Amino acid sequence: MATTETTLVHGRATAALAPRLNAVKTVVKFVRTKPLGAAGAAIILGMMVVAASSGTLAPYDPYQADYAAQFARPNLDHWFGTDEFGRDLMSRIMYGARIALFVGFTASFVGCTLGGLLGVISAYAGGKIDLFLERLMDILLAFPQLILALAIASILGPAVQNVVIAISIPIIPRAARIVRAAALSVKEHIYVEAVQALGASQRRVVLRHLVPNVVAPYIIIVTAQLGGAILAEAALSYLGLGAAEPTPSWGLMLSGSALSYAEKAPWIAIFPGIAISLGVFGFNLFGDSLRDALDPKLRRKG
Amino acid sequence: MTVRSPRTFGVVVLALVIGALILAMTSPSVAADTPRRGGVLLAVIGADAPTLDPHQEGTFATLQVVAPLYSTLLQIDPYNYPKIIGDVATDWKISSDGLTYTFKIRSDIRFHDGTPLTAADVRASYDKIVSPPAGTRSMRKNTYTMVASVEAPDASTVVFKLKHPSASLLDNLASPWNVIYPKKYLDKDPNYFLKNVMGSGPFKFKAYTRGSTFEAERNPDYFLKDRPYLNGYKFFISPETSVRAAAIRSGRAYIEFRDLPLSEVEAIKRQLGDKVTVQHTPLIGQWGVAIQNTIKPFTDVRVRRALTLGFDRYTAGRVLFPLTGLRHVGALMRPGTEWAVPPAELEKLPGFGRDAERNRAEAKKLLAEAGYPNGFKVVLKNRNVKLPYQDFAVYVIQEWRKIGVEAENRPLETAALLSDVRDHGNFELSVSATVEYIDDPDVFLRRYTTGDPNNVGRYSDPILDDLFARQGRALDPAERKKLIVDMQKRVLEQAYYMPGLWWTRNVVHWTKVKNYVAPPSHYTNQKLQDVWLAED
Amino acid sequence: MWTYIFKRLLLIIPTLLGAATLVFLIMRVIPGDVALLILGGDQGQIDQKQLVAMRQQLGLDQPLYVQFGTWLWGVLRFDFGKSLWTGQPVIDELAIRLPLSLELALLATMVSVIISIPLGMLAAVRQDSWVDYLVRVISIGGLAIPGFWVGILCILFLVIVFGWGPPLEFTPPWINPWANFQMMVWPVLTVGYRYAAVTTRMTRSTMLEVLREDYIRTAWAKGLRERAVVIRHALKNSMLPVITLVGTEFAFLIGGLVVTETVFTLNGVGRFVVDAVAHRDYPVVQALIFLTAFSFVIVNLLVDLTYAWFDPRIRYR
Repeated sequence: MATTETTLVHGRATAALAPRLNAVKTVVKFVRTKPLGAAGAAIILGMMVVAASSGTLAPYDPYQADYAAQFARPNLDHWFGTDEFGRDLMSRIMYGARIALFVGFTASFVGCTLGGLLGVISAYAGGKIDLFLERLMDILLAFPQLILALAIASILGPAVQNVVIAISIPIIPRAARIVRAAALSVKEHIYVEAVQALGASQRRVVLRHLVPNVVAPYIIIVTAQLGGAILAEAALSYLGLGAAEPTPSWGLMLSGSALSYAEKAPWIAIFPGIAISLGVFGFNLFGDSLRDALDPKLRRKG
Repeated sequence: MTVRSPRTFGVVVLALVIGALILAMTSPSVAADTPRRGGVLLAVIGADAPTLDPHQEGTFATLQVVAPLYSTLLQIDPYNYPKIIGDVATDWKISSDGLTYTFKIRSDIRFHDGTPLTAADVRASYDKIVSPPAGTRSMRKNTYTMVASVEAPDASTVVFKLKHPSASLLDNLASPWNVIYPKKYLDKDPNYFLKNVMGSGPFKFKAYTRGSTFEAERNPDYFLKDRPYLNGYKFFISPETSVRAAAIRSGRAYIEFRDLPLSEVEAIKRQLGDKVTVQHTPLIGQWGVAIQNTIKPFTDVRVRRALTLGFDRYTAGRVLFPLTGLRHVGALMRPGTEWAVPPAELEKLPGFGRDAERNRAEAKKLLAEAGYPNGFKVVLKNRNVKLPYQDFAVYVIQEWRKIGVEAENRPLETAALLSDVRDHGNFELSVSATVEYIDDPDVFLRRYTTGDPNNVGRYSDPILDDLFARQGRALDPAERKKLIVDMQKRVLEQAYYMPGLWWTRNVVHWTKVKNYVAPPSHYTNQKLQDVWLAED
Repeated sequence: MWTYIFKRLLLIIPTLLGAATLVFLIMRVIPGDVALLILGGDQGQIDQKQLVAMRQQLGLDQPLYVQFGTWLWGVLRFDFGKSLWTGQPVIDELAIRLPLSLELALLATMVSVIISIPLGMLAAVRQDSWVDYLVRVISIGGLAIPGFWVGILCILFLVIVFGWGPPLEFTPPWINPWANFQMMVWPVLTVGYRYAAVTTRMTRSTMLEVLREDYIRTAWAKGLRERAVVIRHALKNSMLPVITLVGTEFAFLIGGLVVTETVFTLNGVGRFVVDAVAHRDYPVVQALIFLTAFSFVIVNLLVDLTYAWFDPRIRYR
């Protein structure tokens, strides 16, 4: 078996079982071998910096209307121009990063954690519990993500926190499924290993091998869902179910008549769209490369 | 922390636009040249009709598509708002005690299936409106509570007997929603017209694909012998505003009957120049804020007054007009009409003075007196529609911040909003709109009386109830006007409700569409019988 | 094999029942009363007696379990009742809108498959080369751009630059192919590019896995030309996962339909769902979501069966 391919790929002999990862070495290797992923990470970091320091970086209050400067072209006073109320677009986009990141991280994290927990419980409890949970996840999975989010957002009403809930719920079954599959495969191998371990405590074996094996798919799916969560927020805002005015959410800035103004003031429709695309792009690049790096053998089950 | 830029692009554009609109506002009424026959009018409309029965619906989506298929007893003169003229009726007499209205109707009207339209059909249609049979609904039932009975003593006479005199009956009978159905179909099934059409109007029903198109063709047996000029019309249903604007721009449709935002209008005008005409009309509609009078802090009239004092209406008209069409400052009846509060008296009412700074200072003082020296937080519920609801809310919220009131905008879908605000009174403040087809005081002012279903603020003021009842019966216009003005003043002094701005609209159409006069309501003048196309 | 099919079919039933129940509950939990909406109109004057009568007429005054039972019973006979908003049978309303959505879905899938499979293969075969990077960047980038934004920019561009607007009415392709094309080309591309982006990534990664398999190595060792290896062996074996992907991403497609139909105001099923939710038109929403779940489940079943047919190991799980 050639060795060149085993740099970040686990050897076939230990199939799904991975040795402990050395964090720092991995990161450096990651940057070197996966430049796209590193670029994605840079974008994400940039977004986070902007979001965190938008209070100091943003030249204006994003809610402050300036009636004398409605629809101002991008100029030295307003680098991205102003919107229909004379609010500075660049400040709104900077503050919007907060909302995008908040929605993205929270929805993805909450959804995947809950789903992951359910997946682990399902795999290890087995029997009736497993059957019941699997059926429940199947039912949730039968709904397209956006439709389920739409229905839930209708119940809760337009608000940022409601959007997070609405988006995280469809993520739960998807995460559950993947984590359960990973946990199941570990279970099989642990059985084998345990027999072979000649007396080593099952719990030690479980802990030594369970954690890396479930963590990897967990991380993968969290990063995979991040970009999708941001897009879902944008779509829901566009449909009128997301954040409400005057919140500077990127999706909201694109909804409704922002596009009616697009000919008079194209910057209103262009910059938020670019911001969303860039953000999701960064998350996807990073998530993609991370998945390649961690475990290319991980396959979504049909 | 605003950076005040010099007057820039935005203001210049606004000035140019207003100038352009004034220029563009050609007098689109009666064309000097001879009407051309033929052609199909293509129109876009922003919503799909839930059903086809205007008695049972309240949306323009129903009315605009079926109005040309029917006749009404009376109508508003399309060229002379608000004069009432007959459609099916030729003349009418009112008894001296004001309790009996006798209408003579034409004898040469036929429904599209050939049967003649007689007084019995008028009677059956109005019976359905005034006393809806079980299983149907009548959206305007409440405006006919004064009607005791409708009779048809012979085939060409209809008599309305009233319980008490009413100053508004004729206006209400001119409602475009009160189409005349053939009695024989109503007898078989009063819900027949939810899905079917059988009218006597200038056009006959052709085809309807739900969510997509509505088509009709010319009625060759229409009782006005040389009308209509068009061969037919076709509505395309398209809920997205940009797409409707694009349709007009690309010529796939010739007219949008309701409204297009100013930015779209400018773009269309820029591209097509003289090929399009823009009719800018006021609309009989007002946006304001409903206040839940039964909960704190709004039980205190000082707090309510502070809200309206803190809202700079005159700047609002300037800022919101290019975005939403909301423009005119007025009380509870449309400014410029006979029932409006005269401007001199208006400016004395709280919130209507011209000095915004002084108003704000007074608002803060009132709030302090009422126990809120640092203002308070409140939730403003709203309909989840951008124009003009959301934009109005953004402005109002900005204004109230200046007096310390932190309002959170909470848009809800229409269904949820109606449930909260109308049904359960579950709100603190709510953006609220009143839009009608005619400046009728009965219709507009009813909602300020005790117990009215539209009195969402749930206040009860015997003075208002008394004024309303008296104005409804006052047959002398001067007396009636005084009562109506007094009623408006009372509402505004007590600040039960906060009026915002009155609406205007832009009707855009290709210039080849001739003889369409946009009235101050998107519900009237939809019969299209006088419209013609200069070319196909 | 038959046992497997039978077992899978059996498993569907509780899933569908569960989906039906979930939809029913969700719609009933959403605040808002359809009767109030109908009577509210643009400016309606609500009459309490009419409200009560309306609720009765619509069957909304029945206890929930009765409403549920009625609906469920209807579903079993494929009768979804009448729309509360329009009074027409739900099936009829659906029938009008289905052709457009089907055409959109089908064409978008075709477009995406045509683009993604060659691209994905190319990227996998030339892993880590500039071709690979380019393909990955394009597909990831494509996925990152919000679909509705692209749609509206599309319309705006066409209108501003060419003064062209799409046809406003749907004509089936067999009646007027040119009109149909004009209406559908932009929505198909808008939905298709995102679908293509997802499929490209998946094709690439499954291809990568397959290429690492032993038998591929054996083929190389035997000295077979690249093309033979790739096409004859790798492609055949990657197809199964890709077919699987098409099945599972079907849901993704439906989401795309909803947004795109709203943006381009196409009279399709996607937009119908959004409108029906806004109107609290319970029968319509229930029917549509249930049918979506139903078709999704069926598609997955077919995919699983295809998988099982080709890969006997799966059958004996």
